[in-house]
Amino acid sequence: MRPLRLILALAAVLALGGCHRSEGPYPSREIKLIVQAAPGGLSDTVSRVIAAGMEPVLGVPVVCENKPGAAGALAFSYVTRRPPDGYTIGHGPVEIAMVRALGFAQVGPEDMDLLCLVSKTQPVLAVHADAPWQDLGAFLKAARQRPGFYVVGNSGTGSIWHINALLLERTTGIRLIHCPFGGSSASLTALLGRHLDAAVAGAGEVAPHVAAGGLRVLAVLDARRSRIFPDIPAITEFGYEPGASAWSGFYAPRGLPADRRDKLVAAIRRAFETPAFQKVCEQRGMEPVFLPPEEFRKFALEQAQFFARVIPELLKGGA
Amino acid sequence: MESFAAGLQAVLQWDVLLFLATGVLLGAVFGALPGLTATMGVAVLTPLTFWVSAEKGLAMLLGIYCGAIPAGGIPAILLNIPGTPASIAATWDGYPMAKAGRAGLALGINAATALMGQWISFAFLALAAFPIAAFGLRFGPAEYFGLALFGISLMAGVSSGNVLKGMLAGMFGLALSTVGLDPMTAWPRYTLGVSELLDGVSFIPFMIGLFGLGEVLGQMTEGGGPRAALPPALGRILPRWSEWKRMLRPGVLGSGVGTLVGAIPAAGGDIASVIAWEQARRLSRRGQEFTKGSVEGLAAATGACNAAIGGAMTTMLTLGIPGDAPSAVLIGALLIHGIQPGPLLFRDHAGLVYTIVVTMALAAVGIAVLGLVAARPLARALRIPRPWLWAGIVLMGIVGSYALNNSVADVWVMFAAGLLGLLCRRFAVPLGPLVLGLILGPIMEANLRRALILSRGDWGAVLDRPIVMFFLAATVASLLWPLIRKGRVAPGSAAGSK
Repeated sequence: MRPLRLILALAAVLALGGCHRSEGPYPSREIKLIVQAAPGGLSDTVSRVIAAGMEPVLGVPVVCENKPGAAGALAFSYVTRRPPDGYTIGHGPVEIAMVRALGFAQVGPEDMDLLCLVSKTQPVLAVHADAPWQDLGAFLKAARQRPGFYVVGNSGTGSIWHINALLLERTTGIRLIHCPFGGSSASLTALLGRHLDAAVAGAGEVAPHVAAGGLRVLAVLDARRSRIFPDIPAITEFGYEPGASAWSGFYAPRGLPADRRDKLVAAIRRAFETPAFQKVCEQRGMEPVFLPPEEFRKFALEQAQFFARVIPELLKGGA
Repeated sequence: MESFAAGLQAVLQWDVLLFLATGVLLGAVFGALPGLTATMGVAVLTPLTFWVSAEKGLAMLLGIYCGAIPAGGIPAILLNIPGTPASIAATWDGYPMAKAGRAGLALGINAATALMGQWISFAFLALAAFPIAAFGLRFGPAEYFGLALFGISLMAGVSSGNVLKGMLAGMFGLALSTVGLDPMTAWPRYTLGVSELLDGVSFIPFMIGLFGLGEVLGQMTEGGGPRAALPPALGRILPRWSEWKRMLRPGVLGSGVGTLVGAIPAAGGDIASVIAWEQARRLSRRGQEFTKGSVEGLAAATGACNAAIGGAMTTMLTLGIPGDAPSAVLIGALLIHGIQPGPLLFRDHAGLVYTIVVTMALAAVGIAVLGLVAARPLARALRIPRPWLWAGIVLMGIVGSYALNNSVADVWVMFAAGLLGLLCRRFAVPLGPLVLGLILGPIMEANLRRALILSRGDWGAVLDRPIVMFFLAATVASLLWPLIRKGRVAPGSAAGSK
């Protein structure tokens, strides 16, 4: 009796799985947007606001599904293995250009059909408000006098902010001690508690603590100043190389038909232009930047090449 | 006082109260179902609050947070399955009470101490937010190491009498916690090349398997046929006056510990309730009743995990840094409503702070009332034949494990942990130390290594800090306690011992 029931149940499941819905013009059913991070974070917020903005344009639900793990590598691998039918897309942060170099998964932007980029977050070097250094020059001078003495926190070994701290060392010739934490929130907390000398984090992550008088930003580690800190110089103003920004974009599995790609990109563009998204960018300290597919592709591939070159070099010395 | 009245006024509107009640109800569902957590509840419902005013949105989200934690104690008591990690310690005395036919009383205590723990911690938030937050900020890597070391020293105490097996289980938990990327070098350890293991063994699926599936498999292999899961006797729900008196001290102790531990940014209700339970056991005159259905043990555990809410909110509101996982998600929600937590919030929007405190205080009342009213039907639901209950638990376990990260790998973790749980039950290996090792292992390891980075490798500098010294002393005292106690009891020829 029991095996029979089991077989019947299995048959029912298989039969249901085999059902085909008749497909109308794209999109005719809900689109899944795979987010590589846990609910509540920045990637999740960007994805949910963009998804909400896409729905009225496409006329179908766009449902966010969180698949966190291995710096996003799990989600990237998952999405790139889905059929390129436009019904599964992914949120692609800067890590899509990093995870291969970090050895987390064999996946990169060349395995994806990139849709568009929607925002950037600049790296900044922050110290405690009571720290003796008023500007980058003073900090560099102190660091040169005591090489390998000052401890700079980051959001995890191999994370984008860790890479930025390493790039800062390389371009300025100073030597720091790097201390990885589980995310920027933890490293900035340690900096607020004066357990660290400095930290590298995203401009938006640091901004509320600067406004509250807890932290001070010494430099924006980018080629341009930040809109959030118009008075703080960019590192290139001192004649040094810029670091690498974090960013948010969207991608689909490779082989997405051009007409479906265009519909998705148009929908994301409309969502990008909504006041809701612009407001989120302002509140979370991101720069709204829109790059269409070709430009995003070029940018992401360049980034992947850059990280493939610098990550092995920079991480060679260990943490 | 004026801002307090304004806060009260902002909340006492029927539509705000409606959102609050909805939040508490949703929170109760998220908390009571293993695999759905308070964090998830707040995160998933945050987008729904975009379209309403900040007061209403906050009322719903805070309601979820305050409702989920006490509700997590319900499956812990009735099924031995913690609904959220914060209610692990509630299983130690809650489930034995239920098995002894006192399920009603256990649920009553859970509801009453939820109110007590939350109110005490909210009072601290309203009156002493900044000193508490300053205490939280003093926790650097060295201090976290001290806290974790102290937590590890409690393993013997949570071993239900079998110290050797408890220690072995604890060491196994610590070993298991090393799976995943090395926290300092990001080098994979024991991942067998599986990407899903890079972040370590997923804790919540592991917990669901160990407690939920493990319990089901244990009961199934015991035999006994399709009888009801629990004895039909429900017992009283409201504690007697004598029980109130016994609950008071451990409950207040738990609330104090919970407020402080909750305020420490990377430690939450799970650690708080274990510490509170163990300290209550030591300070109690009836310590030997703990793990056998002690009213005091349950009160300490549930008081602490609820007080951790206020502690975590204190750190979050005063400093803008999360005190635990749900409050991290709440920061995101507050930002979307244009509220930036941090010192400026108290200066510029003091009224809003009181609105939040009043909202949470009302949520605590709501969940306590709900808990008392629902106790009887919930306990009665357990009279269904056991095979039905088992099927339900396994199904919930699979769904819950998958839903957490949308990961099939997590379902396998759940099954593996279920088999482990069965083995532990068969060989009478206590689960408490195993879970403690798994929770504290990463905190201890990563923070010791961070502390050594900060001290440039100098062990002396790591240990020579007041809070670290305090925890070291507490650890030593905790390890020597059995000897001290023996010395104290011996002359009186062990009146209380078995």
